[in-house]
Amino acid sequence: MVRWLIRWLPTVWLLVSAQPAAAAQVHAAPEGLYAHQIGHLIFIVAMGILIYWLRHRRLTHHQGWRRLQYAALFFILWNADAGLAHFLESRPGLFTSLDLGTWQARLTAAPGREVPVAIYYLVKMDHLLCVPAIVFLYLALRELLRDGQSAAGEERPR
Amino acid sequence: MTLPLLPITLVDVFGSSLMILFALLCVGLAVRLRRQDRDNLVWTYLLWFSYALAGFAISRAVGHITEHVSLVLDQGHTWKILKPYSGAINTISFVVVASITLFFERIWKIYQQIARDKLALEDTHRQLRYLNRHLEDLVAARTRELTHSESKYRRIFELSRDPILVADETGVLIDFNPSAMRLLAIDSESGPDRALSLPDLLQHPGDWDKLRGELLATGFINDEELELAGRARQSLNVLLSATRENTAENRTVRFHFLLKDISQRKAMTRQLLQADKLASIGQLAAGIAHEINNPLSIILGYTQLLIRSEDAATERYGDLRTIEKHARACKTIVEDLLKFSRSTQTRKEAGSLHQAVEEVVNVVRHHFELDNVMITCELDPAVPPMVIDKEKIEQVFMNLVMNAKQAIGKNGAIQVTSRFDPERKLVTVQVKDTGGGIEARHLPRIFDPFFTTKKTGEGTGLGLSVSYGIVQHHNGEILVASEPGTGSTFSVVLPVQQSELVVPQADLAVPQPESRKVGS
Repeated sequence: MVRWLIRWLPTVWLLVSAQPAAAAQVHAAPEGLYAHQIGHLIFIVAMGILIYWLRHRRLTHHQGWRRLQYAALFFILWNADAGLAHFLESRPGLFTSLDLGTWQARLTAAPGREVPVAIYYLVKMDHLLCVPAIVFLYLALRELLRDGQSAAGEERPR
Repeated sequence: MTLPLLPITLVDVFGSSLMILFALLCVGLAVRLRRQDRDNLVWTYLLWFSYALAGFAISRAVGHITEHVSLVLDQGHTWKILKPYSGAINTISFVVVASITLFFERIWKIYQQIARDKLALEDTHRQLRYLNRHLEDLVAARTRELTHSESKYRRIFELSRDPILVADETGVLIDFNPSAMRLLAIDSESGPDRALSLPDLLQHPGDWDKLRGELLATGFINDEELELAGRARQSLNVLLSATRENTAENRTVRFHFLLKDISQRKAMTRQLLQADKLASIGQLAAGIAHEINNPLSIILGYTQLLIRSEDAATERYGDLRTIEKHARACKTIVEDLLKFSRSTQTRKEAGSLHQAVEEVVNVVRHHFELDNVMITCELDPAVPPMVIDKEKIEQVFMNLVMNAKQAIGKNGAIQVTSRFDPERKLVTVQVKDTGGGIEARHLPRIFDPFFTTKKTGEGTGLGLSVSYGIVQHHNGEILVASEPGTGSTFSVVLPVQQSELVVPQADLAVPQPESRKVGS
C-alpha cells in the first residue's frame, strides 16, 4: 500500500494541481467538413492502391477479383462525386432551398450561379455511383464464394 | 433557375435502402466465405472489409434517411442535432474502410507465405508418411541397388585382364585384382590385408618418387613405361596409367593404377631386332666368305702342288705344311660362315632326329664321363621321322653339348630331352646343363658370329652362329633360357614336314628378319 502511494501520489498531485493552459486547441466548425473531405481523399487513395495491387498481382484475371476492382473504381468515382457535392454545398449564396420536406421542395440558383448549381444538382445524386460500387462488391464476393479456395489460390505457390 | 429536389430525394432514399441491403448481403457472403475456409487469411480480411463497408454504408444510409424523414415530419431541429454525429460517424467509417483496404497487399503476402509453408508442410508430411510406411522396402531396394552396383563394378575389377592396383599415398597396396596377383606373383594368401608396397615391386625404386610426384602434381599418368619385378624378381615391362583420388571422408589420397603387360611385345621387338641384326651380319659374312673362299682355294691348291714336289725331309716341306694347315683352318672358318649365312648346300632327307641325337651323345659320352659330366637322354618315342640334313643337325647338337660341357667344366650333368607337339607339329629338343649359365648382358649376342666368352684360341665364336643358321635352314628356331649360376637350356624347335623327302639345293638366302629366334 505504501509502495503504491509512493508510486501514484506524485501523478495524482500533478493532475489535481494543474492550472488552465493553452494546450487544448479549439476546433472550429469547418474542421469537421475538412476532416470529412480528407476522409474522402483517403478513401480514394486506398481504393486506388487496392486496384494497383489487384492488377499487379494479376488477380484481375479472375472474375471475382475483377469485380472487386470495379467496386473500387466506383467507390473512387463516388468519393470524388461526394467530395464535389460537399464542396459546392459549403459555398455560401450558391442556391436557396425552398419547401424542404414537401413534394414541392426545390432549389433556386442564385443569379449567375446556374452552372455550379446544375453540377451540384447532378452530383447530389451520388447513390447512382455508390450503389453500383456495393453491388459490384456483392458480385465479387459471390463469385469468390462460388470458386472457393481456387480463386484465392490462383497465386498459391505450387 | 429552379430545380425540383424530389428526384434527389427519391434517389437518396431508394439508394440508401439499397446500400443497407447490399451491405448486409455482402457481410452475409463474407461470413459464408470465411466459414468455407476459416484458415484462409484473405477471406478473414474480406470479412473485415465487408464489416467496415457495411458500417459505413449503413451509417451513411441511416443518416440520409433520417434527414429526409426529419424534414418530412417537420423535425428539422432534431436533424440539426443529429447531423454532426451522423457526419462524424460517416467520416470515421470510411476512414476505417480505407485503412483496412491499405492492408490488402500485406495480407496477401502473408497469405501466400502461409500457403507456401502449408504446402511445404503437407509435402513433407506426405513424404514422412510415405517413408514411414515404406522404410523397410526402401532400405531393401536401396541395398539391392547398391549390391548390384557393387557387384557390377567388382566384376569389372575381378575379371579385368589388365592388372588393377589401388594404393595409398605411401604406395602400400590397398586392393588389387587377380590379374595383378598373377602378374606380380602375389599369392592369394597375401591378400589385400597384408602390407604390400608398390615401390617394392618396382625394378628401380627411384621410379616411385617420380610416379608419386607426378600423380600429386597433375592427378594422372598416361602410359608410363616401367619395369616391375614379377615372379622370382623376373623383370616385367609394363605400361602404367594412374589417377589420383582424393577421398572426401578422411581427406586422404589414393592412387589407382592400371597396368598393361608389354613384356611379350618388348621381347618380340627384341627378337625382331636380333633376327634383323643376324640377317645383316649373315649377308655381310656370306659376301666376305665368298670373296675369300676363291683365293683361299688357290692358295691351298698351289701349296699342295708345292708339297708334292718337295722332299718331306726339308725345312721347306715343313713350312708348306704349316701354310696348308692354316689355309685349311681359314677354309673351315669360311665354311662355317657360309653355313651360318645358309649359303652352303644342304641335302635334306627322311631321317630320324633321335638317331642324330644319340650318335652325338654316344660320341661324347665317354669323353664327358672322364670329367664326371653325366649326359642323359629322355627322348619322346612319339617324335616322327623327319626331313632333315642329318649331318648338319648332328653338328648343331654337337655344338650344343660341347658348349654345355664347356659351361660345366667338371662335375655336372647334361640332359637331352625331346618332345613332340602333335597339334602344332613341332619337335623340341632341349639340351639342359648345370653349368654357370649365361650372363643377361651376353644373351642378345650369343648367336653373333665370332662372339665368344672363351679365352683366345679356345673357340672361334662360330658354333652357335652356325647352329642358328642350320636350324633356320630347317625352318626352325633355337631358343635359350639361362639363369647365371643355375645353368642354361637350349631348345631346338623343328617343324615336322612329311611331304618332301629330298630338299633341292639351297639358295643363297640369308636369315630373314621375320624368322624367329629367342635370344633370352
